[in-house]
Formats: sequence, structure tokens, C-alpha cells
Amino acid sequence: MAEPLLELDDVSAGYGEGIVLDHVSVFLPAGGSLALLGRNGVGKTTMILTIMGFLSLAGGAVRFRGQDVSRLAAHQRARRGIGWVPQERDIFPSLTVEENLTVAARAGRWDLASIYGLFPRLHERKGNMGNQLSGGEQQMLTIGRTLMTNPDVLLLDEPLEGLAPIIVEELTAAIRRMARDEGMALVLVEQHAEVALDLTEDAVVIERGVIAHRAKSHDLLADRETLDRFVGLNLAAE
Amino acid sequence: MTGNLLIVLFDGLAFGMLLFVLSVGLSVTLGLMNFVNLGHGAFGMLGGYVALVVTREAGLSFFLALPAAFVGAAVVGIACERTLFRRLYRSGELNQVLFTVGLVFVATAIATFLFGTGQQPIQIPDVLRGSVEIGGLRFGIYRIFLIVVALAVTAALIFGLEFTRFGASVRAAVDNQRVAQGLGIDVDTIFAITFALGCGLAGLGGALAIEIVGLDPTFAFHYLIYVLIVVAVGGLGSIGGSFLAAALLGIADVGGKYFVPELGSFLIYLLMVGVLFWRPLGLFGKR
Ligand SMILES: Nc1ncnc2c1ncn2[C@@H]1O[C@H](COP(=O)(O)OP(=O)(O)OP(=O)(O)O)[C@@H](O)[C@H]1O
Ligand SMILES: [Mg+2]
Repeated sequence: MAEPLLELDDVSAGYGEGIVLDHVSVFLPAGGSLALLGRNGVGKTTMILTIMGFLSLAGGAVRFRGQDVSRLAAHQRARRGIGWVPQERDIFPSLTVEENLTVAARAGRWDLASIYGLFPRLHERKGNMGNQLSGGEQQMLTIGRTLMTNPDVLLLDEPLEGLAPIIVEELTAAIRRMARDEGMALVLVEQHAEVALDLTEDAVVIERGVIAHRAKSHDLLADRETLDRFVGLNLAAE
Repeated sequence: MTGNLLIVLFDGLAFGMLLFVLSVGLSVTLGLMNFVNLGHGAFGMLGGYVALVVTREAGLSFFLALPAAFVGAAVVGIACERTLFRRLYRSGELNQVLFTVGLVFVATAIATFLFGTGQQPIQIPDVLRGSVEIGGLRFGIYRIFLIVVALAVTAALIFGLEFTRFGASVRAAVDNQRVAQGLGIDVDTIFAITFALGCGLAGLGGALAIEIVGLDPTFAFHYLIYVLIVVAVGGLGSIGGSFLAAALLGIADVGGKYFVPELGSFLIYLLMVGVLFWRPLGLFGKR
């Protein structure tokens, strides 16, 4: 078994008294990629927020690069290399596109030039305010903003949600480049199971806060029956 | 008559600039952090007494007393923020109001205990005394100095907030605290620094104010009214708005007392009510 980069060890967590994640264990090797699948409201975002440290643990531990980070604040986890791309995009509206990219930047492989190379549209709009962008541009900015922090793992929470097919294609290509060419580790939450499975090596399916199924992404993609049972066929809509 | 008018405008503007330095910190912390700090005037008063101690007890120059007042108020501000105020960020405006007003009572009592209830004069350097004559009118040098300091503060604030990475992270933290944290921005520290700067500016204002309005333990309450008018009329979080509101308020206050003494200091309240009827969020308010 490869050295784990990110590990959830028997984690239970939720909001206040309510437990959403119930004894969840997940593990991601360096350079690995994991699809988190599941229907609406099963706890996918909760899992991402738990990794980031926004929710308090009711049990278990979150480990990153071999160290227990369960007690660290969110900004400390981010600085250690966990890169979060939030589901609601949440561009900073009172910052320009370029300020959105630079405000939390840390030195490393990704800088303004390489982000503009990945998303040329952002370069065209660099002087615009964050809230003057289309949905697709906002998603590119959200991903670019997190890449600028030069993380070791990228947690993408439904990055393709609600976007036009042509933008989905562009973003999928960008994510593929990051994962395959740059060796960026990924956790990808998606409703579009087909896209997510195509982009990742491993997959887990969550159902009401527990892990209901684990598989290689490649195998799960072929296993229509299991997919249909746990995720519902978003595939048909493709 | 035009001469009088010009002088009143000038004196009013200078008084307004003083109010600006006293209030802009509150506008920033209230607008950015949604923390209702009615103790802001107490930090102004603290700066005043620091300046007094530096010039009178330590015998140092007024030009040293100004930065000392800034630093003194900023340090006490950050200590209060770390130990007291941060517990109140999530606890609702009424709690914040009650607590910080309580703090003003404490500050007033401490000032009375240490310095007595009397008005305290301050020694200002000779270069700031007297006046210059321009076109037959005499302009007080100290008031010119006030205007210059206020312009410098405005420029520094706008530059710091709009054109530096620190300013961008303050705006990001205000836009979305959680996402800012999730990207590695230390929001707590940023708010603490911002708060300290706001208190420091109040302290600077308090030190500058002594020569114009004097200093006694009622300062914290008396100037809280002016500070709140500036913030309300200017619009929360708007530096430009505070600047304009402070200038208007200063001119209305001085002009009112000079031209319509029957109304006395009441004119400024009329002005505030008028502006807020016209623009309930203040001149530049966004929310
Ligand atoms: N802030 C909150 N407070 C309390 N409960 C919450 C909160 N956010 C989510 N939940 C609950 O936690 C459960 C899991 O929600 P979560 O957002 O993790 O789902 P999800 O899998 O990300 O769904 P989606 O695909 O719709 O984004 C849901 O039952 C939801 O009602
Ligand atoms: Mg979600």
C-alpha cells in the first residue's frame, strides 16, 4: 500500500449535535485520485468540510502527510497543502479576478502565468470584479484561486454543477491535465458519475453518511447496475 | 462677510478632519467586521492622555506624542480585541453595544482617577502655533496641519485597503470568512490587526483633538456622538464616505454655531436626519 497523503480514519462528524458522517474511512495516496459519489444530501460536502476542519469531529482522525491534523484550524490545514474548491464557488465579489487569484497565493509551481495558461479566459477578464463573471468563469476562477495556493491535494466539490456542456468539457480537460500531467492528487465530488469516474482512479459511493461501496473507478464505470442503485443514472442524461 | 464665510469653512473643515481621524477606524471595523464598538471614543481619549503624558510628564515633543498615541491606543485595542471583543463577534449587536458602552464607563472612571475631571491643556510646538495670512485672511497653522494629517491618513488607508495584499485579504475575509480561511488566510489575525489600526487612528485623533477641543474624562462619550454621526452619514465601511461626512459635519457644526447661534449645536442633528432621510444607508453606504 502506498504512503497515504490524505486519510480519514473512522471519522464521525456533523453539524452541532447531528451526526452526518458515521464512521467513515477513506484513504488517498500521493498523486492519487478519488471520486466521491452519492445522491443529494448524503454527506459529500460534509466530508469535504470535515477534511478542511470546518466541522468538529465526533470521533476518528483526519491525517495529512502522515500527521494528525484533526485539531488544526482550517487556515492551518490549507497552509499545509489541502486545497479546497468550495461547492458554491464563492468568488470574493469585492476583489478583481487577479486579486482573487493572488490574495491567498503561496509560492510554487502554480503562478499567475500558469493559471492564465490553464484558463485563458481569466486572463481576458483579470481586471473585472469577481462578481461580473459567468458561472463557468467563476468556476475556473475558484479552481485557479485554490491552485495558486499550490496545494498537494485538490478537493473539488461538484465543480461541474450547473455549467453548460462546452464549459464542462473545458473544465474536465483542465482537471485531467492537472491530475495526469501534473500528478496533482484529487478528491472529486460529482453528480455526473461518468465524468468523475473517467477522471479518477478510485471511487467511493456514500449513502446516508456511510460508505456503501468502494471500487476502482474504471470497474465502477462498467458496473451500471451498482451505479444505478447508488447514484441514479445521471449517466443517461449525458 | 465672504471673508468670515471662508474662515468658517476653513475652521469647519479642519474640525471635520479631526472628526474624520477619530471616526474612520470605527467605520472600517463596523463596516468590515460588523462589530459595534461604542468604546471607540474611549480609544480616542486614551490617545489623548498618552499624548499628554508623553509631552508633559516625559517632556518629549508633540511630534513624538502623535505616533505614541497611535501605538498606545492600537496596543490596548488589540489587547481588548484578543481578550474581550472577539468573544462578542457572534453574540449579537445588543450584547456588543452594552458591553462596549460599559467599557466607556470604565474608561471614564479610570481617566478621572488618574487625571482628575479638569480640562488638560497640551504643549504644541512653536511651528504649529500662530497663523498665516493669505489674501487678507488669517488661517491657523494648527488647523492646516490637521487637514494635512487627515489627507495623509486618507491616502494611506485607501492605498492600504485597495492596493496591497493585506488590504485584499481584509476584503476577502469580509466577503466570505469561511472561504478565506479555507484558502489559508488567517482571518482572526487579520481582523485583530485591522481592529488595532482602527483603535490607533482613534488614538491619533484624540491626541490631535486636545489643542482644538481640550481633553477631559467626558471625551469618550462626548465624541462618540460625533463619531457615530460620521459613520452613519458616511456609510459603513466607506473611507471616502467618512471623509465627506466628517467634512460636512465639521463645517455644519462650526458654521451653525457662528451664523445661527440660536440653533447652536443642534444643526448637526438636523443635517444627519436630513441625509439619512435622503439616503438611509449613508452617503456611500452599501448595506
Ligand atoms: N449547515 C448545516 N447544518 C445542519 N445540517 C446540515 C448542514 N448542511 C448540511 N446538512 C445536512 O447534512 C446532510 C448532508 O449534507 P451535504 O451537504 O454533505 O450533502 P451533499 O452530499 O454534499 O449533497 P449535494 O449533492 O446536494 O451537495 C444533509 O442531510 C443536510 O441536511
Ligand atoms: Mg454538496
